[in-house]
Amino acid sequence: MRRFDYFRPKSLKEALQQKKTIAGSKFISGGTDILVQIKNRELQPPALISLRSIPELATIEINGGARIGALATISDIIQHPELGHNYPVLKEAGKRLGSVQIRNVATIGGNLCNCSPSADMALPLLVLEAKVRLQSAKASREILLEEFFKGPGESCLFSDEVLTDILLDPPRQKAKAIFLKKGRVKMDLAIASLAVLLEMEGGKCRKVRIAAGSVAPIPLRLSKVETLLEGAAISKDLVSKAQQLAREIVSPITDVRATEEYRRQIVGVYVKRGLEKILG
Amino acid sequence: MKTEISFILNGSEVKVTVDGHLRLIDVLRNTMSLTGTKEGCGEGECGACTVIVDGRAINSCLYPALEIEGKSVITIEGLLMPEHKLSKIQQAFVDHGAVQCGFCTPGMIMSAKALLDSNPNPSDKEIREALQGNLCRCTGYVQIVEAVKRVARQLKGKQ
Repeated sequence: MRRFDYFRPKSLKEALQQKKTIAGSKFISGGTDILVQIKNRELQPPALISLRSIPELATIEINGGARIGALATISDIIQHPELGHNYPVLKEAGKRLGSVQIRNVATIGGNLCNCSPSADMALPLLVLEAKVRLQSAKASREILLEEFFKGPGESCLFSDEVLTDILLDPPRQKAKAIFLKKGRVKMDLAIASLAVLLEMEGGKCRKVRIAAGSVAPIPLRLSKVETLLEGAAISKDLVSKAQQLAREIVSPITDVRATEEYRRQIVGVYVKRGLEKILG
Repeated sequence: MKTEISFILNGSEVKVTVDGHLRLIDVLRNTMSLTGTKEGCGEGECGACTVIVDGRAINSCLYPALEIEGKSVITIEGLLMPEHKLSKIQQAFVDHGAVQCGFCTPGMIMSAKALLDSNPNPSDKEIREALQGNLCRCTGYVQIVEAVKRVARQLKGKQ
């Protein structure tokens, strides 16, 4: 592996300072993506600045809603009893991310900042309408996660910013959510994946949020499908229409793991299956 | 840039001086000469490099060496009992024919140990889930799962 320096600042302030001082340096959290990228020479940073010695970044707080520190590992999230109870879809997705060894070190913030179209944790967070807090030495801003992703490997983070927290509203009592993922084997990256959150009231769809993975340059909210469903009674016919629309509005690629056509097929089937499973 | 760190390795405190770009597996194999931990893919897919850090199974090929400071690591060498006897898990792997070429075995055993330490009575599904990050390319997983089940039964007998 190409040589690089490795720094372990004890505070966020120090970390942001070092990032600014060392041109081309990168933050590392769990490292399960960035170390592979360095090994494959996709990245050759002169230094890595580890966020792992900053304790407040790894905490999880339940406060009606929830605040999840970016450095919380996937295992921390799966094993957190209240988080799992209030947001079961987050736990479901976490259990499908990688292997035990990966989940024990990979972090939720790292999964988002890697900006893979297949990021497993992005989908439940998108349907829960999570916000992320981005911090620089001078300022802090909160944005919707939906606005965070810009393309494969690209986010709206400025080079002097770091993602510190994920913020969730209190769980909607009547809403149910589900996570579906297609891989060749269980620990694979997703060939296609989907999260659906559905809230029914008086036989009609009061609220629906749908997000799909590995079918566009970013983890994608399927807003057009949501608009089709919201306010309507969810009949068999409407589910078929939603399935068809989902297939049409995604823009998957063909690669070594699956073809474009297969991914369209799966995302349509998952919209149908997700809605049917929640409706029971 | 070299940094001195100390950590607990198989129960004993050690001090090493490491370069920033080194991984835990480099320190274990090259600095400490503990070559029981294997490197397969080097990308966190195969699990041959699995060791236990503070009670959790991790891939030592994706773990920056400097992050081990102050933590406790158990490698396959740490399982050996007094008088060079094999531990229960190791013996069960031998008895059940769960070892063929042996390259995946140390990682497989460390994943099994991490599981049994936190859940002494796992179901078949839990065993398979715990070993999902460990690939065996020789033969298959039936004997391996059988071996882990036997250790679980032994642990249950003790309770």
